[in-house]
Amino acid sequence: MINLQNVSFSYNNEKVLSNISLHIDKGEFTAIIGSNGAGKSTLCRIMNGLLKPSSGTVTVNGMDTRTTKSSILARHIGFLFQNPDRQICKNTVGEEIRFSLDIAFTDKSMIEKRLFETLSLFDFDADSNPFHLSRGERQQVALASIIAAEPEILILDEPTTGLDYVECMKIMSIIKKLNDKGITVIMVCHDMEIVLDFAQRILVLAEGRLIADGETREIFKMEEILRQASLLPPQIARLAARFGFDDVFYVDEMTDIVLKRIKNRRKRTG
Amino acid sequence: MIHIENLSFRYKNGRKPALDNISLTIHEGEFLGIIGGSGAGKTTLSYAINGVIPHHFPGDFYGSVKVANTDTFDTTPGRLSLKIGSVLQDIDSQMVSSVVEDEILYGLENFSVPGDEIEERLLSALEAVGILPLRYRAIDSLSGGQKQKVAIAAIIALRPKVLILDEPTSELDPKSSEQIFDLLKELNEKYGITIVVIEQKIMLLSEYVKKLAVMDKGRIILSGNVRDVLGHSSELEEIGIHCPRVVSLSNSLRDRGADVGGVWINLDEAEAGIRRLIYD
Amino acid sequence: MKGFFDYVPGSSYLHRLNPLTKLLLALMICIAAFISANHLFLVMLIVLNLGIGAQAGIFTRSVMLLKGLLKLCIIIFLLQVLFIRDGNVLVKLPLNIFITDGGISSAFMVVFRLVTATMPLALMLSITQINDLSNVLVTKLRIPYPYAFALTTAIRFIPVFANEMTGIIEAQTSRGVQLDTRNIFKKIKLVLPLCVPLLITSVRKIEGSAISAELRGFHLRTKNSCYKKYAVNINDICVIMISVVIVGSAILVNSIF
Ligand SMILES: Nc1ncnc2c1ncn2[C@@H]1O[C@H](COP(=O)(O)OP(=O)(O)O)[C@@H](O)[C@H]1O
Ligand SMILES: Nc1ncnc2c1ncn2[C@@H]1O[C@H](COP(=O)(O)OP(=O)(O)O)[C@@H](O)[C@H]1O
Ligand SMILES: [Mg+2]
Ligand SMILES: [Mg+2]
Repeated sequence: MINLQNVSFSYNNEKVLSNISLHIDKGEFTAIIGSNGAGKSTLCRIMNGLLKPSSGTVTVNGMDTRTTKSSILARHIGFLFQNPDRQICKNTVGEEIRFSLDIAFTDKSMIEKRLFETLSLFDFDADSNPFHLSRGERQQVALASIIAAEPEILILDEPTTGLDYVECMKIMSIIKKLNDKGITVIMVCHDMEIVLDFAQRILVLAEGRLIADGETREIFKMEEILRQASLLPPQIARLAARFGFDDVFYVDEMTDIVLKRIKNRRKRTG
Repeated sequence: MIHIENLSFRYKNGRKPALDNISLTIHEGEFLGIIGGSGAGKTTLSYAINGVIPHHFPGDFYGSVKVANTDTFDTTPGRLSLKIGSVLQDIDSQMVSSVVEDEILYGLENFSVPGDEIEERLLSALEAVGILPLRYRAIDSLSGGQKQKVAIAAIIALRPKVLILDEPTSELDPKSSEQIFDLLKELNEKYGITIVVIEQKIMLLSEYVKKLAVMDKGRIILSGNVRDVLGHSSELEEIGIHCPRVVSLSNSLRDRGADVGGVWINLDEAEAGIRRLIYD
Repeated sequence: MKGFFDYVPGSSYLHRLNPLTKLLLALMICIAAFISANHLFLVMLIVLNLGIGAQAGIFTRSVMLLKGLLKLCIIIFLLQVLFIRDGNVLVKLPLNIFITDGGISSAFMVVFRLVTATMPLALMLSITQINDLSNVLVTKLRIPYPYAFALTTAIRFIPVFANEMTGIIEAQTSRGVQLDTRNIFKKIKLVLPLCVPLLITSVRKIEGSAISAELRGFHLRTKNSCYKKYAVNINDICVIMISVVIVGSAILVNSIF
């Protein structure tokens, strides 16, 4: 699907990404983590062809981003920016979604079908004015109009920043649903609990270098790597680490191991 | 320090009241966290404290807000700003200058801080949030997280008695968010500054603040010590507030028969609690 | 648009001048451009502008600016040439259009003036911090602070909006809007609706700025609040004299030729 080979990128002589190689397969759910300024957003823009690599090659479904127009790549990759207000430009939610559909499809009945499906997936009122909605709801409108066009790959740059827990979970559950249907998801996220709960694979960026790439649980065990990237594992994993419990990430897992220890102690003392 | 009594407010073009009969007292030297879903009225409450309401946004205003014994109704946000420093929610739009240094100087100049003191305050504010190297940078060229730090530096340079921050870490990575809270803690403990912080990251809050107020639909539905508030985790879950995972852990252990004592609200407490359970 | 007005940090001779001196120099070059009716003199002023750019370490930007103005210049030049009919006819075109030597001469004049009058202001803003400008306007020229604040805010928003527009275009391109088309009419049709998000963000930003300024003592400011002092030294006197000489020579050149 997406393939990066020795990709470097500089903004006016300032090197922001150095020598990144990676491959993302169909259906994966990948999180990109790293501190502010590590190059996460730049990497996302490189992947969808908004930025062209200074050296190295990026291919999406076999197309080289350097020689393919952005508007063509957009048919394959949906990209949700952090700020929904840069995307929404129509006066009703229905029109906003239709705007994307008109670009993606020519078949009238297909457009009507997707419009209906998308509105009901998000439970939207087609006539509501997006500018009267809250930030979290506008983020949902932006996401809706992107996935309406049925991209095979979804790139999300901090989709949950500035949202409350309920809004966050609504967006994440929709993304999860799409991923279950086989859509490839790549997501930048600062919330390690969300990364733990949803992503299968993690890319760790630090100062423009890809310092780790692996399965979620494996990455969260690499304290040294995370420290280099100024990150901390999820809360329960941090707690477990203080007791030397390995491979414990969730409340249930921690509960089990603590109860087992209590029982062992009783056996010994009693 | 801050005394709110039966405060209700409806924006002029708003259908429902944004604040509904709020009473809250914040004592000098307190470190209070305010949580709640979006649209709960958190930002509006902060506006009521710093005087933006009713002076900037018109609407129906009932009840009273007193800051250091001054009724906010009888003064202006400008004069209140001598006592209360505010970091607003939307970082991008709260900048008034194009260069970092000028952004910090802006308030200092307006407050007519004497010239020999200004330079020192400028430097110590930049230093405190760790952005000294950004002094001459154009604000436009900074990342969201860096801007957030500039906004905070611009306010702490004014050395207010009360600091109110509206989601100050929303764009920051976990490490920088902790740095900001470390700084707030230091300001609170060392200089006795009263701090009110609105925050979505409840896990971070419970590592730092002493008190919590929970808002929902314009009301304060719970307030008190962090432990007492997080003890109501099922009620919080109902209004869409997700407690830190150590709270769920202590609940889950309690439900399965372990004697956890009270709820654990942060990592250190959870560690101590588990040590007691499995070693003592 | 992007990147022509925002401040370029530096410590060149020109950077270090008093903001008022820089403003005066820019205005005087503009005035000289409007007074002068001599092609050669105007060309020299353009060279002077480039020289100023080079001295301040923003030569590349000055050249870019010149290139940016070129498109506008070509359109104005063509209009002038086609519609001014003074002097001798050089070429006769169908539809009763003549090209005359007077037309060409005045077309060059207008274009040169446009360039000489635009460049100094853009260059001045590139090497002067807006806050400094506002401060001298208030302390030296006694302009009321709210007006100075409005002016600086307006100037400050130019790069902010340009950035915002870049972001909007990125977002729309990513959803498949063909903003990468080469057809200019199609492009304009596609870009126009994007003004909606720009407008909404602008209103929000302006409102935010107003609240933020108010919460940091906007109304408490007095004329003496300003911390930085803007001394006038020997360099400023030199540049002021040069500015006067420029206008003087424009008048002199006019009266001689
Ligand atoms: N448009 C730009 N021009 C110049 N530098 C930029 C630009 N955008 C980002 N950068 C720089 O590139 C680096 C990486 O930025 P970014 O990819 O946005 O990081 P992240 O998304 O991980 O926070 C930062 O140092 C930032 O200052
Ligand atoms: N300027 C305004 N005009 C009208 N209604 C507003 C305005 N600002 C906020 N509101 C409404 O007031 C309520 C509380 O908003 P706010 O205080 O911003 O909540 P929070 O900060 O908790 O997300 C919301 O229902 C919102 O729609
Ligand atoms: Mg980013
Ligand atoms: Mg808010």
